[in-house]
Amino acid sequence: MEWLSKFPNLSDDTLRVVKQTIDESFRAFTRAYGEGIEAFFNPLKQFLIASEQVMISTPWPLVLLAVGLIAWFASRNWKIVAGTIATLLIIGLFDMWDDTMRTISMIFVCTLLSILIGVPIGIAMSRSNRLQSIINPVLDVMQTMPSFVYLIPVVMLLGIGKVPGLIAVVIYALPPMIRLTNLGIRLVDHEVIEAADAFGSSPWQRLKNVQIPLALPTIMAGINQTIMMALSMVVIASMIGVAGLGQPVLRAINNQYFALGVFNGLAIVGIAIIFDRVSQAFGRRLQKHREVVHG
Amino acid sequence: MKKLIAVSTLALALAAFAGAASAADCGKVTIASMNWQSAEVLANIDKIILNAGYGCDAEIIQGDTVPTLTSMVEKGQPDIAPEGWVEMVADVMKRGVEEKKIVTAGHVLTDGGVQGWWVPKYLIDANPGIKTIDDALKHPELFPAPEDPKKGAVTNGPAGWGGTKVTSQLFKAYEAEKAGFVLVDPGSAAGLDGSIAKAYERKQGWMGYYWEPTALLGKYEMVKLDFGVPNDPVEWKRCNADDKCPDPKKNAWAKENVDTVVTQAFAERAGPVMDYLKTRSWGNATVNKLLAWMTDNQATGEDGAKYFLKNSPDIWTKWVPADVAEKVKKAVE
Repeated sequence: MEWLSKFPNLSDDTLRVVKQTIDESFRAFTRAYGEGIEAFFNPLKQFLIASEQVMISTPWPLVLLAVGLIAWFASRNWKIVAGTIATLLIIGLFDMWDDTMRTISMIFVCTLLSILIGVPIGIAMSRSNRLQSIINPVLDVMQTMPSFVYLIPVVMLLGIGKVPGLIAVVIYALPPMIRLTNLGIRLVDHEVIEAADAFGSSPWQRLKNVQIPLALPTIMAGINQTIMMALSMVVIASMIGVAGLGQPVLRAINNQYFALGVFNGLAIVGIAIIFDRVSQAFGRRLQKHREVVHG
Repeated sequence: MKKLIAVSTLALALAAFAGAASAADCGKVTIASMNWQSAEVLANIDKIILNAGYGCDAEIIQGDTVPTLTSMVEKGQPDIAPEGWVEMVADVMKRGVEEKKIVTAGHVLTDGGVQGWWVPKYLIDANPGIKTIDDALKHPELFPAPEDPKKGAVTNGPAGWGGTKVTSQLFKAYEAEKAGFVLVDPGSAAGLDGSIAKAYERKQGWMGYYWEPTALLGKYEMVKLDFGVPNDPVEWKRCNADDKCPDPKKNAWAKENVDTVVTQAFAERAGPVMDYLKTRSWGNATVNKLLAWMTDNQATGEDGAKYFLKNSPDIWTKWVPADVAEKVKKAVE
């Protein structure tokens, strides 16, 4: 009755051979294609470095001004602008300015990339049920697979630093963008689409002028979620050498510097709240416009 | 003859009593496993020997050098840190010993821990002129930095490690920045290993902090760069190990004592277990061989411990009395 109490698993030897074969073939793959893949990602790396340089070398009053202006144009709300400026001032006061700029630059590029990749995939997914049934499980894997599982292979391919960090962050932050774009477009009222068809709009016109504007609140929620998830990955990304607020957090964890950890953790929270409030307000404003036009 | 029987009966009774007492006294034991292989396998060996041989109820908990030893001093938990790199946390150790919170049970690595700046062997073969750190720092082009290929890179240890602080100070002392180098933070031990593996598989240049005994150095042949100066312990303590000190000098990394650290409370109640912990020690060659086997077979710390106890009785049976050795042998069969 042993087979009942102990699950009849593959023998240790078989499993070992399987694992070794996979590891060996990955190593061979690294040797063969590592250079090429690294070269492919090089433009992205240069962009990341340049973006970080801009954020760090720009004098801080200019950064504050720019962030304030962006907050104002996005939200038209003095409270949000004041809160944004105050948060950044406190961060600067506690000597976390450079790390914060690095993190903002990283999150900015990650979010941009997630939108550029996510929105088209989301639109394609909304048009085909079969594509949806293929992509959904992929998104599930991306959201639940522990990051370190794919971090180390990525490090072996691309080395430590910004690009592997970016890949890890995008893998984690992309799914909400895709899912909510898909959902938003699918939720657009069928009668509205019939009306658009009746007026003889081409598929492109229908998408651009009817579906996307009506799905915009949901898509904005997707962008918002993407930013939040990217920020939550900051510490994980710093485990493979991405500079920013994650590094002091790691140092704090390893040395039990309680205050250092809390300061940098709160700075991450502060940035998250800024991004959240500004993008939410922007989304609401977009919605308002639409209602004015249609109402 | 009568006397002899009486004495031996007494001895037997005492032994039985001592055995019973040790089992009762041992009770629950927590053993700290660190997040590198040699400490992990040793923690598992200790667990098996304590449980099977001494009737303890030993459990392994995960830790890292600084948090674990700090917790032992502050909280008295875990009970045993089998492979404590005590010199990395000299302040904590000194305070702990002075306040009678912890004691060391002797050197666990007979050869000690070796730390330093390592480069791949193929690089040395191609550039036989490079022997010391100063030699290597003359060639930033051989060690391109990931984000700025015009500069050279020295890869530091994981954030928060003692060796990481020392590497930052040595980086200053050898004026590496003037030589066109940057200090790269790999973030974690996994990041550090990954960056070495990447460089090695692609035969690229790499220089940075590492230590032995480790499986990685068994798998990837690396050469430790000479420091060019002898070790100066006074200067080391003053400046090389303190990352806030502004003017570190060139210095050699001394072979480090790696000790088994035990909480005072456990040392007082442990009795025979304490004798085991005091005698148990192994050489780097043994450890490297075991770690290499573990890596080749993708073995966990537990698998490695069982393999070692099954295949190297010549080493470990010297650590324990014969009766304990028998019990352990039975347990791993």
